[in-house]
Amino acid sequence: MTIYKTLGLACSALAFSAAIASADSTVRFWYHFDNADNPMDELVANFEAANPGITVEAENIPWNSYYDNLYTAVIGGNAPDAAMVKMFAQPRLIGMGALEPIGERIDAWDGKADLLDNLLDLTKAEDGKSYYLPVQYVVLYLYYRPDMFAELGLDVPATCEDFRNVAQQLTRDTDGDGQTDIYGFGFRGGKGGHDHWGSFTLGREGVNLVGGMENDSAAEGTQFVVDLFQEDKVFPPSAPNDGFQETIGGFKAGKTAMTIHHIGSANGMVEALGDNVDAAPVPSCGGGQWTAYGDESTAVLSSAEDKDAAWKWISFLSESGNNAKFNEATGQLPVTKSDSDGWTLHPKRFVDATVNSLPFAHLLPNTPETSDFVNTVWPVSMQRALTGDITAEEMNAEIAKLFGN
Amino acid sequence: MPAQDRNPTNRPGPKEGLTGTRLGRSVLPYAMLSPAVIVTLAIVFLPMLQTAWMSLHDYVLFRPNDFTFVGLDNFIAALQDEVFWISLKHTVIWIGVTIPAQLLLGLVTALLLNQNFPWRPVARALIIIPWALPSVVIALMWVWIYDSNYGVMNDFMLRLGLIEQAMPWLANPKTALGAIILTLTWQGFPFFAVMILAGLQSIPRSYYEAASIDGASTWRQFWHITLPGISGVLVTSVLLRTIWVANSFDVIFVMTGGGPGYSTYTLPLYAFVKARTNLDFGYGSALAVLFTILLMGVVMVYLRRTGKAVQ
Repeated sequence: MTIYKTLGLACSALAFSAAIASADSTVRFWYHFDNADNPMDELVANFEAANPGITVEAENIPWNSYYDNLYTAVIGGNAPDAAMVKMFAQPRLIGMGALEPIGERIDAWDGKADLLDNLLDLTKAEDGKSYYLPVQYVVLYLYYRPDMFAELGLDVPATCEDFRNVAQQLTRDTDGDGQTDIYGFGFRGGKGGHDHWGSFTLGREGVNLVGGMENDSAAEGTQFVVDLFQEDKVFPPSAPNDGFQETIGGFKAGKTAMTIHHIGSANGMVEALGDNVDAAPVPSCGGGQWTAYGDESTAVLSSAEDKDAAWKWISFLSESGNNAKFNEATGQLPVTKSDSDGWTLHPKRFVDATVNSLPFAHLLPNTPETSDFVNTVWPVSMQRALTGDITAEEMNAEIAKLFGN
Repeated sequence: MPAQDRNPTNRPGPKEGLTGTRLGRSVLPYAMLSPAVIVTLAIVFLPMLQTAWMSLHDYVLFRPNDFTFVGLDNFIAALQDEVFWISLKHTVIWIGVTIPAQLLLGLVTALLLNQNFPWRPVARALIIIPWALPSVVIALMWVWIYDSNYGVMNDFMLRLGLIEQAMPWLANPKTALGAIILTLTWQGFPFFAVMILAGLQSIPRSYYEAASIDGASTWRQFWHITLPGISGVLVTSVLLRTIWVANSFDVIFVMTGGGPGYSTYTLPLYAFVKARTNLDFGYGSALAVLFTILLMGVVMVYLRRTGKAVQ
């Protein structure tokens, strides 16, 4: 009898510990913020308080190697349970079998109706399923220095021709030592700079990354960028290698008079320059305007141990209030209608520039090649074109080859 | 009655003992070495074999189920790849300039540190700093030194009138590789200095005394006593450093990422970018295997020639 009792107790203890184990789950979440602080702490604390038994381990991965790390972690079997993801990575992640479809969960989720219109359609995969839940968005526009424009009596450029003229005038030696002190435009020649090049090239008639790179319009666009650097010298000499930090840092420090980025930089720029920074949509080039729609979503990875917990966490981030907090940290724009109404985090002029740029904002092609375009083909060929190693046509041919036309 | 019971001390007989000792002696070294060998096999040779195996396949990580055997196709593609030849050329320059520069600087430093002067121990400690710093820190530090807007390199050269305009050292394809080689030379020369200094201190002073009595000049003393005295250290240090420098790409990766364009691509960096960024592990492995074969060839030729010279 004693044996049975002991056995019974042991079984109960085992069952109890198993129950405890199943109640406690950890969600490993990867994200990338330009901001070096960890603004996720408060959101994590709020989530954990509302969901006892779920622990969130949020890890900020540096942007430059974010996708390298993510892909390698997926293959190595050490992927996070949930992650921040962009549309260009979606086809590749689906191809790797790394994403969990979340369409049914979104349909059953209370926050769905509060999401801005069209965002769920924009982030849908080619196979018609939903793998992404939008968490923030931005649109790229032109930052400029109104004080420098006023000093030289210049207007904000509306076309590529105006842009070139303005950039040439803004490039100046201000102290007479024979050195250029201010450059017209801070061009990002390193990884991520395809958005800058895109604004001067992809809006032109007949130009398209897939099937429209080997024509005269596309060559004109790339040549325009190359000429700005080589002939007009309106980019800083370090432009071929410059990344996010250099272009934004150069603008804040007054080394450049214009650059292209999104609202995520607005508050930092206002902090550095006060009223001496303004924004406008990118110029129209070759008969059309093009700017990048900067999407950002979250996703549950198919390898997540507790998918329910991972979904709870990512949906928490896209809910009214929490989404506002998230975007306060990233400096981008919320995806919920309730948070967007009366959004006061950014000065109005930057929100206006974003809204005015929306009609011609585009996502990069939803194909597996886009990852290579962003990470290697564009930066390498742009740098080679800028430094005269290849021609503008050869650069476009490299891109055309990648996208298979 | 069992045999051992007849032997009260339970000791093996003379012949039996000898065999046991011999067996013990022949097995013991293997037994002692086996943990290290097994670990080395598992973490060095197994991945090497895996790399060689992958290089014979079309293996792109974002298509994990597609692992097609393609024979030597990746190697043929590499030999027809323009970037492979650009990277190989840069690798040759990278090794060919960095190692002699580090060696020469290290040799001069070691000879200076071998003299008697006040604060010598402090100087010896300070000289090791570049070697002790992590590569990433060094790379970031030198990125700032070379910066075209704020870098001290431009400021210094402009003030001296050596250049007329601030140079984008890392963004200009003509200067980028040279700028990184200078960084790596600065990082690596303390290794040579410390190794050569140890070699110098093992040369008996009596040799120099005898040579001066015989009227040998400082140069002849250096040529006939110092150089032969440190030749063993030199051969080993050059070999080790060649392998390290050839394989290292962390400084390049942080400073330029291989850019602008392909102007700072070396073979290990190209293999890394192909495998890690493009996820093309088949092609990346083929590049790594090709590079290993080339490096092994260089090392073998070097060992043969220097082995004869040292003898």
